[in-house]
This record gives sequence, structure tokens and C-alpha cells, in this order.
Amino acid sequence: MSPVTVSLPFALRAKAGHRASVPVVAQTVREVIDALDQEFPGLRFHLCYETGELRPFVNVFVEREHIRSLQGLDTPVSPGATVHILASVAGG
Amino acid sequence: MTYQKAPPQNTVVVSVGTKRGLFLVTSQDRVQWNVEATTLQGRRIYHAIFDQREGCRLFAAENGDFFGSFLRYSDDFGQTWQEPRQGIQFAQDSGQKLENIWVIEPGRSTEPGTVYVGVDPASLWVSTNGGETWEPNMGLLSHPTRDQWQPGAGGLCLHTIIADPSNEARMWIGISAVGCMRTDDAGRTWTFANKNTRAGFLPTLYPEFGQCIHRLVQHPDNPEVLYQQNHCGIYKSMNAGDEWIDIQQNLPSEFGFPIALDVHHPETIFVVVEAQDGRCNVDQQFTVYRTQNGGEQWEPLTKGLPTGAGVKLGVLRHAMCADTQDPCGIYVGTNTGQLFASRDRGENWKLIADFLPPIYSLTLTTLV
Repeated sequence: MSPVTVSLPFALRAKAGHRASVPVVAQTVREVIDALDQEFPGLRFHLCYETGELRPFVNVFVEREHIRSLQGLDTPVSPGATVHILASVAGG
Repeated sequence: MTYQKAPPQNTVVVSVGTKRGLFLVTSQDRVQWNVEATTLQGRRIYHAIFDQREGCRLFAAENGDFFGSFLRYSDDFGQTWQEPRQGIQFAQDSGQKLENIWVIEPGRSTEPGTVYVGVDPASLWVSTNGGETWEPNMGLLSHPTRDQWQPGAGGLCLHTIIADPSNEARMWIGISAVGCMRTDDAGRTWTFANKNTRAGFLPTLYPEFGQCIHRLVQHPDNPEVLYQQNHCGIYKSMNAGDEWIDIQQNLPSEFGFPIALDVHHPETIFVVVEAQDGRCNVDQQFTVYRTQNGGEQWEPLTKGLPTGAGVKLGVLRHAMCADTQDPCGIYVGTNTGQLFASRDRGENWKLIADFLPPIYSLTLTTLV
């Protein structure tokens, strides 16, 4: 299966070995986060609360679609897709 | 500028937590001051404190705008930072989620590896290994009234922790807006300690709990004596918090956040009070108030502090501290980034740093 490419925001790259993108094998966004946390322990807590809920100012896009308008963390990801993790726009 | 080597012995260090990073303001003589940036920049640092019981470890409470809250520690004066092996995170099935880390307090001198942390949602966390792993205090998390606790404007935050140095089974905590709580059995159970403190924003003026305590300090020689700044008054307790006495006296407002104490003259207390509606100085003069008789009378201290129609300064709950010298130094940080210091018990003040981000907290360390 082709891996999914996860694009990380600058603020989290140090946690991921200073990499801008990481390939993972996953079929949903939830599995993407599971895979990231397995490879980089603790990364999940930057993205999600303890309850598993995505933090309010963390945005995840599958290709160009925001997962909040799809199926949230259960949004499927296709092999070879790119998942973008971004901080919300904040400020004026 | 960041430190390339450790500052010399006897350096006075003010750790300044701000909305956009952690700074160390240092002096050899409390006259000339240097502002140093740590590498924790751009993030909300609610609190930071040195622990010199074993080595010299600097702890910081980092609350990110986007990617969560983390306790970090540095053994090289803020140049490099480590995260705990097991950080402050609630159990996945607890239904709780960490909002902000509010306060860090090294434990008693008799328990050198113990460090306490208070967070929102109101809970007390304990490390017994210098911050490497953390566990929540279950007595507080399972308190029978917990589902009735309501947050203040800053959240349901546990912002004050006092581990009684004279009694290893006794601690006090302050939670907004729950009030003062005390344990006498090393944290297994917690009781409210709010008698005679007001909750002017509730239908019941003197409830058992629900008060908005802002800050609490302990008398260094008489451990049963406590002082607190509250949303609704300034109070003193002579009996470990069982009852409180209103000591607002001639202060121009009942509302303020910080409180500090001169350890060599512990009847000397410093507060900043504010106009409730604007949360800044009551009139045109930014003022620190001092009592030298345990709250019977307050005197305004203004020499060197700004005045004028445009002076509207606020001081947050952790943004005032005292050093341990005699005469003691007092340090006050504003929510607009000014840091004022006095080295003569508040008689004269000097602006020692300006243009900082909004100041959340000050703690004082003299390096040994």
C-alpha cells in the first residue's frame, strides 16, 4: 500500500526529527495520528486532547478538504494522499 | 541574548513568564539589571521557577496557542529544555482534558525530588523525581463536590500551592472559583477553608465554597497564619484557614490579584489592588500597597511608579514577588510588559525592564 504523506507545521517539526513531512501507512486520519504517535511518541498530545478530541486550533486537511467538514478523525485517506496538519489562522 | 554560561553565585534572578516567552532578569547588586531571553520564546509561559534543592533546575509552564500545554525543565538556565518522560496528561478514560498549566512549586526542603503543579481543570500534580514523571492527586480529582465547581474568567485553575514546611501532611491550594482548600492527611482528603470570605458574585455571600481566591501566602515563622488576595477582599487567617479576617481596611479596592511577603518582617505584606471594572490602577497613580502590621493599616508606595491620565496598569496574580534579602526587594510586572523593582521594601521603585510581552508571572531566585 502506498503510504500517506503527512505535512507537518513548523512548530511540530522538532518533535518529528526536524522533518517537514512524514510517510505513514493509514486508512483514516485517526490512524494517521496513531502512526505519527507511534513513530514520534508524544506527538499525539500536541494534536489531540487526552479524550482523543482534536484540539480546537489544529486544522487537518486531506488534500484540500478540511476534515471537520468530512468525517472528522474518521475521514478516510487514500493511498498516496497528502494530509496537511496546520495551526489555525489566529489574530486579526 | 541568552546565557552562554551559568551566572555567578549570589546573582539575583527574576524569572519572568510572559505571553510570548520566558525571560531571566538578573543582577549582582539589585541596581544594574540585565534582561536575558531563554530559548522558550513565542509561547505563553504562565509560570516558571528555579528549584535549587538539588542542582539548579528551571521549570516552566508552557501553554501553547495551538498545540497544547507542556511542563518543561532546563538545567542550563533556559538554553535547552527537556520534557518529562511521563508528562501532565489526564487518563484517556477520565473525561478530563488539560487546558493550561498554571503554577509550579518545588516541594519542601525535606522532600528534594518532589515538585507540585497546579493546572486547569483544577487538579494538583505531583512528581517525586524532579519532574521526570507526574501523577495527579486523586483525593482532589475525586472530591465529592467537584461537579459543582465553576471556573473563573481564567478557567477552573488551581493557581496556588503551599506545602506546609512544618507539617508534611498539610497543604493548601487555591482554586478559582472554588476557594481555599486544605489537606491534613497528605492529600488523601481536602476540606474547604473559606469561612468569612465573600463571594459577592453569588446569591450566597458566604458559601462553603465558590469563592474566587486570587493568591495565598504563608507566614514564614507562624505556619498557621495565611494571607490571601481574593476577588472580594484581602484576608488574614490566624488558624490555618479555618476562619478568615477581612484586612482590607483603608485599601481603595477589595479587588486585586497578587500578594507578597517580606520574610524578615513577615507582618509586612505587599499587594496591588485594582478597579474592578477596568482591572487597572484605581486612580491615575500606579501604586503598590504595604502593611507593616499584618493588615491593620495600609500605606501607598508610589515613589518611582508612573502616574498620569494614561497610566492604566494591571498586575496578574503571579506577577509580584519578593526576594529574601533584608531590606527585601519587591518586584512587580504589568500586563503591558513593564517590570518594576524596589530594593528597599517598596520605598523607591525603578523600571528595570520595559517592552516585554504582557507579564504573567515573576519568581525570584538568588543563585547559590
